[in-house]
Amino acid sequence: MSDKPNPRVNAINRPFWEACNRDEFLLQRCKVPECGRFVYFPRVCCPYCGSGDLEWAPPSGLGRIVSFTRIHRPQHPSFFDEAPYYFIAVELAEGPLIYSRLDRDPESEDGLIGSAVGVVFADHTPKQRLPFFRLV
Amino acid sequence: MPSGAYDGAYIVGAGQTPYEKSTEKPVQRLIWEASDLALASAGLGWRDVDGLGVTCFTLAPDNVTTMAEHMGLECRWLSQGLYGGASGIIGMMEAARAIRSDDAEVAVIVAADAFDVSSHMSMSRNPGQHDYMGPWGYGAANGVFALHTRLYMERYGATREDFGRFCIALRENALLNPNALFDMPLTMEDYLSARPIAEPIHLFDCVHPCCGADAVVLASEAVAARLDAPKVQMLGGGAIHNYPAHDIYALSAGWETYRDRMFGQADCGPGDMDFVQLYDDYPVMSFIQLEGLGFAEKGGAPALIGENDCTVRGTLPINTGGGQLSAGQAGASGGMIGVYEAVAQLRGEAGARQVKGCERGVVTGYGAVSYGRGPSASACILARA
Repeated sequence: MSDKPNPRVNAINRPFWEACNRDEFLLQRCKVPECGRFVYFPRVCCPYCGSGDLEWAPPSGLGRIVSFTRIHRPQHPSFFDEAPYYFIAVELAEGPLIYSRLDRDPESEDGLIGSAVGVVFADHTPKQRLPFFRLV
Repeated sequence: MPSGAYDGAYIVGAGQTPYEKSTEKPVQRLIWEASDLALASAGLGWRDVDGLGVTCFTLAPDNVTTMAEHMGLECRWLSQGLYGGASGIIGMMEAARAIRSDDAEVAVIVAADAFDVSSHMSMSRNPGQHDYMGPWGYGAANGVFALHTRLYMERYGATREDFGRFCIALRENALLNPNALFDMPLTMEDYLSARPIAEPIHLFDCVHPCCGADAVVLASEAVAARLDAPKVQMLGGGAIHNYPAHDIYALSAGWETYRDRMFGQADCGPGDMDFVQLYDDYPVMSFIQLEGLGFAEKGGAPALIGENDCTVRGTLPINTGGGQLSAGQAGASGGMIGVYEAVAQLRGEAGARQVKGCERGVVTGYGAVSYGRGPSASACILARA
């Protein structure tokens, strides 16, 4: 599976990707007191107030499924033998939207939108672990 | 009152290459072919051109400047479309303003690509998709828009049959378009039984990547006055990007933010349109555009499609050449296919698919897909001059 696409790690996003490899969920948070919002994906500035003063902090790891799709035709052949699987959009309790996967198939798709989920970590490539989500 | 926002510039020609599954031609040749057809339809030649706007995903390392060099053009105005499928309309708006300001006299706006499924899947190199969706196996654009489709169905009770009716009407239109990729009818049974790609999206909800190009020519009033060819005016237009900034699942890309201003510029409303050319990368986005432009309330597009015949002979002709869903998506040309079709219709050059007596219509553009959506949404109203 080592040919799966890895993210491009750079000076801005490195704390996020390195935390994933320690099974820690770490996001940027705006340091301006009146703002203070969590930010994802990693940015050079706060997209809510424009400040360049961001710190890294652990969110709760909890959220709700905003929408989901069952992928039959992945964009990359390295995923073909896992398909079909559930790709999801999760609104984190702290606000930001993150794309991820359900770690296992749900028993039913009824009521899946709005379901509570919590972060878990999964193998991806020898270089990188990824946050997935589990129904809680 | 019409503000005449784009007065002083006329669309005087339009050209389209056939859409093909593959081609040996370099994309630069497709750019030239559509532009050459557009100039010929205007009664103009390459020596008249002093403005060029190009949108093409596969052009690098060439760009609009080296294309001008390649084709031997001396230009006063150049523009490269960086807004994906919203670029064609934005390019026309910019060209009209350039012509009004005497920065150009004759401008060609062209979009082209030589695409196949693998280039479609591998083009998404921006951070939003490549780094924050790709590692989770997101399924490229199909996965991105499956999420919007699922939410739209959940929120408004839309069904696969609602999307199917839309796709079937577009296929009927494509059967009348000799440039379209698809030449077989599509039935509801075909649509519903197609293989799943990214549920709830199935095969016929997806565009077929292909090769082709579309172009229009804009000219100043002085140039247009000496041409015999039928002319088209841009009565109104608008664009917005990254809207709403912090709500990817608003089931909107912002057409409603400038709809009233755009129709006000044109001194008309949705009910006055003789056709609609929507950016149909996926049926759900066309539904969202119909709602954003005021043809239906939010969530009302399925009923609108159900109550109307959307073929060229129907009560609400949509994507009269088949759109991207049935003519094919030639990459960046997806942002110009509706423009070409609208101009051909208004010039009375649409052959078997001509909407009889049409005088004005609305065209949309959408694209530049990044983190979970296309951030750019454009539209314009075109009318026979």
